[in-house]
Amino acid sequence: MKTIPPPCPEPESGPQYWRSLEQLSDSPQFRQWVEREFPHGAGEMSDPHSRRHFMRIMAASFLLAGAGGMGSGCRRPEEKILPFGKAPENYIHGVPQYFATSRPSRGTAFPLVARSNDGRPTKVEGNAQFPGQAGGTDVYTQASILDLYDPDRSLKVTQAGNTRKREAGIDFLAELARKGQSSLGAGIAFLSDRSSSPSRHRLQSEILAKWPAARWFEHEAVDFEVHREAARAAFGPDPSGATGMRPVVSPVYRLEKASRIVTLDADILGSEEESARLIQGYAHGRRLEKPTDPLSRLYAVESLMTLTGGNADHRLRVVPSLVPAIAARLAQEVLRVTGALGEAVSPLSGVAGPASAHEKWIVECAKDLAAHKGSSLVVAGYRQPLAVHLMAHAINAALGAVGTTLELRPLMAPASGSLPELAALLNRGQVDTLVILNDNPVYSAPADLDWASTQRKAKTVVRLGFYQDETGLAADWHFPATHYLESWSDGRTADGTLVPVQPLIAPLFDGVMELEFLARLAGLPVTSAYEIVRTTFKAQSLAGDPEQAWKKFLHDGYLEGSAPKPVAASFKVSALVSSLASLTPPAPASAEKLEVVFFRDSRVDDGRQNNNGWLQELPDPVTKMVWENVVLLSQKTADDLKLQIVDREDNNLRVPWVRVILAGRNVEGPAWIQPGMADHTVGLALGYGRGKAGRVGQNTGYNAYKIRPAGSLHRAAGAQVQFLENLHPLSTTQNHWAMEGRPIVREANLEQFKERPDFAKGMNMHEPPGLRGKDGQLEPLYQNPLDIPGPDGKSPRDRATHAWGMSIDLNTCVGCSACMIACQGENNIPIVGKNQVSRNREMHWIRLDRYYAGEVADPQMILQPMLCQHCESAPCENVCPVNATVHDEEGLNVMAYNRCVGTRYCSNNCPYKVRRFNYVDYNRRPLHLLAGPFYTTPLLHSTDGEWDLIRWWKNPDRGIRPDDEWELLKLVKNPDVTVRMRGVMEKCTFCVQRIEQAKIAQKVKAGPQGNIEVPDGTIKTACEQACPSGAIVFGNMKDPNSRVSKLKAQQRDYTVLEFLATKPRITYLAKIRNPNPAMPDYAKSPGSFKEWEGMGNKLGHHGAAHGTPGGYAADKKGAH
Amino acid sequence: MSEAALPSSIKIAPPPAELEREPLVRNQRGIGWLSDQVAAIMEGKTPTWWWMAFVPSFGFMSLLGAMLIYQISVGVGVWGNNHPVMWGWDIINFVWWIGIGHAGTLISAILFLLRQKWRTAVNRAAEAMTIFAVMCAGIYPALHVGRVWFDWWLFPIPNSNGPVWPQFRSPLMWDVFAVSTYFTVSALFWYVGLIPDLAVMRDRAKTTIRKFLYGLFALGWTGSNRHWSNYEKAYLILAGLSTPLVLSVHSIVSLDFAVSQLPGWHTTIFPPYFVAGAIFSGFGMVLTLLVPLRKICKLEDVITMRHIDVMCKVTLATGSIVGYAYGMEFFIAWYSGSPYERFAFINRAIGPYAWGYWIMIGCNVLVPQLFWWKAIRRNVWIVFILSILVNIGMWFERFVIIVISLHREFLPSNWSYFKPTWVDICTFLGTFGLFFTMFLLFLRFLPMIAISEVKGVTPQADPHHPLGGAKEGGHH
Repeated sequence: MKTIPPPCPEPESGPQYWRSLEQLSDSPQFRQWVEREFPHGAGEMSDPHSRRHFMRIMAASFLLAGAGGMGSGCRRPEEKILPFGKAPENYIHGVPQYFATSRPSRGTAFPLVARSNDGRPTKVEGNAQFPGQAGGTDVYTQASILDLYDPDRSLKVTQAGNTRKREAGIDFLAELARKGQSSLGAGIAFLSDRSSSPSRHRLQSEILAKWPAARWFEHEAVDFEVHREAARAAFGPDPSGATGMRPVVSPVYRLEKASRIVTLDADILGSEEESARLIQGYAHGRRLEKPTDPLSRLYAVESLMTLTGGNADHRLRVVPSLVPAIAARLAQEVLRVTGALGEAVSPLSGVAGPASAHEKWIVECAKDLAAHKGSSLVVAGYRQPLAVHLMAHAINAALGAVGTTLELRPLMAPASGSLPELAALLNRGQVDTLVILNDNPVYSAPADLDWASTQRKAKTVVRLGFYQDETGLAADWHFPATHYLESWSDGRTADGTLVPVQPLIAPLFDGVMELEFLARLAGLPVTSAYEIVRTTFKAQSLAGDPEQAWKKFLHDGYLEGSAPKPVAASFKVSALVSSLASLTPPAPASAEKLEVVFFRDSRVDDGRQNNNGWLQELPDPVTKMVWENVVLLSQKTADDLKLQIVDREDNNLRVPWVRVILAGRNVEGPAWIQPGMADHTVGLALGYGRGKAGRVGQNTGYNAYKIRPAGSLHRAAGAQVQFLENLHPLSTTQNHWAMEGRPIVREANLEQFKERPDFAKGMNMHEPPGLRGKDGQLEPLYQNPLDIPGPDGKSPRDRATHAWGMSIDLNTCVGCSACMIACQGENNIPIVGKNQVSRNREMHWIRLDRYYAGEVADPQMILQPMLCQHCESAPCENVCPVNATVHDEEGLNVMAYNRCVGTRYCSNNCPYKVRRFNYVDYNRRPLHLLAGPFYTTPLLHSTDGEWDLIRWWKNPDRGIRPDDEWELLKLVKNPDVTVRMRGVMEKCTFCVQRIEQAKIAQKVKAGPQGNIEVPDGTIKTACEQACPSGAIVFGNMKDPNSRVSKLKAQQRDYTVLEFLATKPRITYLAKIRNPNPAMPDYAKSPGSFKEWEGMGNKLGHHGAAHGTPGGYAADKKGAH
Repeated sequence: MSEAALPSSIKIAPPPAELEREPLVRNQRGIGWLSDQVAAIMEGKTPTWWWMAFVPSFGFMSLLGAMLIYQISVGVGVWGNNHPVMWGWDIINFVWWIGIGHAGTLISAILFLLRQKWRTAVNRAAEAMTIFAVMCAGIYPALHVGRVWFDWWLFPIPNSNGPVWPQFRSPLMWDVFAVSTYFTVSALFWYVGLIPDLAVMRDRAKTTIRKFLYGLFALGWTGSNRHWSNYEKAYLILAGLSTPLVLSVHSIVSLDFAVSQLPGWHTTIFPPYFVAGAIFSGFGMVLTLLVPLRKICKLEDVITMRHIDVMCKVTLATGSIVGYAYGMEFFIAWYSGSPYERFAFINRAIGPYAWGYWIMIGCNVLVPQLFWWKAIRRNVWIVFILSILVNIGMWFERFVIIVISLHREFLPSNWSYFKPTWVDICTFLGTFGLFFTMFLLFLRFLPMIAISEVKGVTPQADPHHPLGGAKEGGHH
């Protein structure tokens, strides 16, 4: 008998159909009937193990098995998830955190705020909370983040070149401490860089107290100590003898309070210490809204063409040895007019003689200074001797600058010897153990000290350094130093405020913090740098809960009120008189006896940042050269030497290779004619031609230290230049110097501005009738679809909450280039290498265009930041065949990298040429290929012993980069910005990631019905944030009260290439020069204005009907 | 009615000998000779000269392959293109090859519609040249982009990316349609014209494989009246379709420049001027190819001096148009009053690339003026040399437009200089390899003269000619 199995337990799906009432009822009788009536296949209706079911299961199994096998190739890479068991407080994954810290730099420290993305620092900004600082930074600071992730930094402790365990190194230090203890420091010498760290000063004192026989020396290749030393000599206490500390006075130049500034070979806007702070002050005096606003005036006396001279209203071009005479004559004249410090006048006349050629210039300058008593300032540069600084201070004292434009902050610094003293000690064989902290004397010591062999006279050389550089290689023991973003330390800013150096990341390698190194070396009981800093802080700490104060200190990034009170001291004429005696009268320079100037490079500093790709590729703000230094000569010098430098404006620029001979030593480098350079002067930038740099810095430039004499570190006389051959290729980011009379940068003198406040718009191109539509606006060639009104009469752009725009003030922009590096860091912009720059393929989204006007000998320099102008009617968008660059309602010209195929038509149609194309895979290219000559195809190349194509296949992100580079350099990337691959176009996005972050934050804050308009000033683009002068302002043009709207409403506001009717969202504020009509070099209008007039142009009249009102809101009002 | 029956007073005198047109086929060559002579190169042993030309051509074609692989694997950076000259030899060569591709379809379509019977001797080779030139041209826009693997985004293909469509406002988009349409129609036109001749080759074939292949492509042609009737209708329709394309394709290529706002590009004169220039360069290339070929293939009786003379005249006419356009550009730049426009043109004439400009003027404006003299038009050596100069001149015209306009434009800070790399040069040489490889294969395997069409213009094909028609039987 058949058994009837139970009904199938599977849940039925879908509608059930029945053919009869019997089937519907599904009675046992019916089933039996079915069994009987339909023997074929009927059993399947009730049998759970049916054939179909079997097939179904099997098919699904096969499919899954197959999918599994196939899927293993397509699966995402396996990643171990390590979620926080307990999330740290206030931590949101993906949201960056900000910490206050500071960057130590020579005798000072710069307060910073660093951004940390999931534990890795990715960007540093100036600490805007710091009193008197708006938040700008300089290029060195901006680029310092890249040093942290430099794959060529020193990674391990080494002994005689062999890697040692960190513990072995620590043991060695302990042993050294025991030895020092037993000998009381006899035969031990320390050589360090300059530091402002109170903790290091404390350790130094403790060591010297413990080891009285030990000696401490300090060396900086580019030393700003002369500023502090001069201020002490002029105003401060006399150095006291025995104690380990010596008093110094830090002069704080308050340029913001100065209406007349004279620089004596001082590049205050460029290479002087803390230029960011100085630029901020300078810009304050140059900012103006109306023609009647006060405008400061800058006089520059200099031999090199620097940013300071380029921005100056009057520039006196002299050989460097003449600067003391000019300072003396100026001092004489000021003292005579003011009647102060009368006893100093006659000693000055002994020096002032040679300045007679510039008598009128000096006399008028002095008159102007005296007329602004109390608000004028004279600054001498670090390259000038002490006497010049003292003369400057004499003038300052006579002008009542002390206490107003010149603050004197008394500080204590440890007493230490100099490098020549150490050399003498070494030569006498009195140094057994030499400990070198950070400094790189093998590379940067003066040539006549012959440091490499002098140093070898010590039995043991121990070095703590960030790079395994020339000195590291010559040392017996080398310890890798930590980056400041990995270190605990402290420092003092220029005004003496205590700031912390906080680590944002644990040391990436075997790095040893400086304080820990010193503590271990001296055998101190406390070796933790954190504890050392805390202990120092406690001693500093003011009233209140020390724990709270410490927390606040770390949080704010500075200790309020820790700066010493400025002193109001009187000038000590005796110091001046004695220093004047040390001056020797200059021998006249000639083509046979040239003067040489050694100067701090505007990119790689004194060589410490030589391996930094961002800085190497940053064009010098004046020469626009990249990847190397050049031998700077004036046109006349080159003519006298019969050097032919033909600037063919050719991407294969080749210049003469010359040999500079000074006192029997010589160095070879490429000659370059620098407009505005003093005649018979050779400018040699320090910092290049490193003997041992990394993959980036190797083989860049020449080493000017090779001929630098110990006696005169900054300028020397009697040099010769020999022409060798006409071969060396140079790479520059700007081939053409002249503006060709085009009104691109618009400038006028203050008087012209007063006469014609609308001169900037008056320089617009003459417009034939009929170009404007009904709304009075220029009809664009490329109408933006977002401008077309909808049914409600409003265009999408009208409906948007924001209209992003930017205003750039050419009057405050000094050309420091911090914006370029900030942009590079924020937006993951790759470097391309010298060879690619020679094809103008550099990738900078923002660049500084530099033009000269006037004669080659004495030109005026004009600078203009140029970046995507975010045109409302953008020519680039119309021509892209794939819609990769489009507009958004808020006015951003956005670039969809993923959509770009790289036809490059957008760039061809961009009148500003601000788009950058990834001609090859710059982001995946290994560093050693940077030098060129060209990129090999991955088909024929292998890296780390693996075929590049396989490598690329395994990890397309890493590409063909060696692992060590890849693992480090990927960490520096901003995770909020796409890293672009080859073949796509890129350009300034107005830091769209920052805009979006702010908008999201505002939406969260606003809640369901709130105001989603982002408050003014919340969003700062990277360039704006880094800009020390505050020249760049970004904001919402729809808000008539926003800063950007107000700036755009100013009369100086103008649009570059306005006649194209591209309607850029970036407008510029015209530059106003403020020359003194009494000066001999006065001209009624600036050089570029004259050139423009020379093309037959005249200022036009732009009345209300024609004028393009500034702000977006105003624009729209005018339309109805 | 016979002539003798007419009264002598109304007897029509034959035209004087000097007014007699030169025959299109000389030496009263017969129909059979024509077939034999044209087929000879395809049927005989491979000539030595063919191998001597083919081997280097093939070598250069391989070089093209290597260069493209190199470029795709590394990036467009292997070329000399820079910032601001984002287009260099890639687009110069694209426009140059496209321009060359103009003569073929002009000869076969427009001259067909205009009943210019002399076209029959040259149209086949010119059309083949067109197709191969467009192939060479097409390589550049397809491979000059940064990411070639996304080229398909330029086509309106339904996709899952959004969906994102191409941007129809962009002239590059128009280019895609213009060039692909031109290539398709030209290829079709060429093939339809080939069918009767393929049948001839099939009928003459001695080996099975030849018979099969020619037969396959002859599409069963029997030469029946119905076939001829359909064929001629189709040919006429295709000629009608091709005619506007001859004008449109280079007009649209010119819009790549005219639509932009760059001084030197933003010019309304471009479409007609580009078409004239394209015809000019196309005829130059036809002359460069046919002058030696007629000698090598012993076809002087088919491609006669009259043909060469006529083509020289076309070159003269279009060259003069181009010269006029150059002058007009300068005038407009001055008349515009825009200093930027003026500068762009002055910079062409006296800037760093003045040499390029004056090569262009010399080759494109001055050289064709020599064709006013009949003695020059009738000297094959001079014609050959001048035709090459025309090609050089037209290459420099594109160089002038693209590179000289881009290298110095609005902001002087961007001014730069362009230099090609060895990859640019080898790629360009490689396209010649591709062109000549294809052309030599065409010569060896397909009739380079339209046999049936030339037969149609011989006196033998004219029933009213003493030599022609079916004389026996007379009229019924």
